[in-house]
Amino acid sequence: MESKVPEFGRFAEPSLLILVSLSDGPKHGYAIMQDIETGTGRPMGAGTLYAALARLEEQGLIEALQPVDRRRPYRLTAVGASNLAEQLRGLSEFAQKGLRQLGKTSP
Amino acid sequence: MKWLLIRCYPARWRARYGDEFEAILEERPLGPFDVADILLGALDAQLRLRGVGADVTQGRGISMSRRIGGFAGISAAPLLALAWFLGYGPVAIDGVVPGALLLAGLSLLLVALAGLTAFQARTNPHATWAAFAVPAIGLAVFSIGATATVVTGDDYWGLTMLGVLTGAVGSALFAIVTYRTAVLSRGAALLIGIGSVLPFAVAVTNFYALLVVALIRFLLGWFALGIQAIRLDRPSTFARPT
Repeated sequence: MESKVPEFGRFAEPSLLILVSLSDGPKHGYAIMQDIETGTGRPMGAGTLYAALARLEEQGLIEALQPVDRRRPYRLTAVGASNLAEQLRGLSEFAQKGLRQLGKTSP
Repeated sequence: MKWLLIRCYPARWRARYGDEFEAILEERPLGPFDVADILLGALDAQLRLRGVGADVTQGRGISMSRRIGGFAGISAAPLLALAWFLGYGPVAIDGVVPGALLLAGLSLLLVALAGLTAFQARTNPHATWAAFAVPAIGLAVFSIGATATVVTGDDYWGLTMLGVLTGAVGSALFAIVTYRTAVLSRGAALLIGIGSVLPFAVAVTNFYALLVVALIRFLLGWFALGIQAIRLDRPSTFARPT
C-alpha cells in the first residue's frame, strides 16, 4: 500500500495514531499517550510521541495551544483533518481488499 | 535520571518542548522501555536539528506549493475576468491591455495548476500530474497562438483554438482529479469542471450565452479553490477541549 505520509518515515504509524487521538478535540501529550494506549492496547513512549508531534507540527497537521500549567494541548488543523480522512480512507480500502482476498483463499 | 534524559535532547528542542516533556515524564515511573524510547527520541531530535532529516523541508515545500497555488488561483480569476470584460464585454477596448491581462491571468493559472497539483500529488501522483500536464500544454499552446497572432498580425486561429480545446479538456481532468482526491474543495472542483465542459455544449446547441455561464463558473471555481487552499492553514473547530 502506498504510504499517505511518506515524509514521516518510521513515525508514520505513531503520527496516524496521534491524529486519530486528536480527531475528537485538543489533548495534551499525556492525554494522547493514554488515549492511544486505551485504543490500541499498546503504550506509546514519550520519545516516540514527541518525535511524531514535532513532525506533525512542522507539517502544519497539528498546532500547539497555550499551555495550561506545563501541559500544552495540541489540536488538529484543517490540513491535518483532511490528511487524516485521506489516510483512513486509504486504510479502509486496503482492509476491504485484504478481506476480499482472504475470502477467496479461505477454504 | 529524568533530568539527564531531557539533557540528551538539543537545547533548541528543550526550549520548545522541554517543560511539557518533563511534565509527561513526571506522570508515571520510567521503565526500561521508556528510557530506551526517550534516548532514541533524543537521537532523532539531534539528527533532525542538524538537518539530517529531509522530511522537514519536504513538508514545508508542500505547504508552500499549496499557498502559492492558492494565491495564484485567487489572482488569476479576476485578471481573466477583467481581460474578458475589456476585450469582449460591453466596454470592450482595443489595444494590448486585454491581451496583456489575458496572458498574465493564464500565467497565474498555470502557477495555480502547478502549485495545487504538487499539493494534491501526495495522494495519487500519476493521475494528478497527468491532469496537470494536459491543461498546462493547452494553456501554453493557446498563449503561443494568441501572442503570435498579436505580434505577427497573421491569423493563428487554429493553433489558438487547439490550445483552448486542450486547456478545456485538461481543466475538466484537473477538476475530476481534485474532486476525487477530496483534499481541496469539491464544490470548487465542480464549478471548474462544469465551466470547462459547458463550452462544448455551445458547439452542439449554438446557444452562446452558455459561454458566459461557463466562464463565470470557471473563474468562480478557481477563485473558490484558491481561497480554500489558503484557508487550510486555519485550525479546524472542535466542540470541546480535553
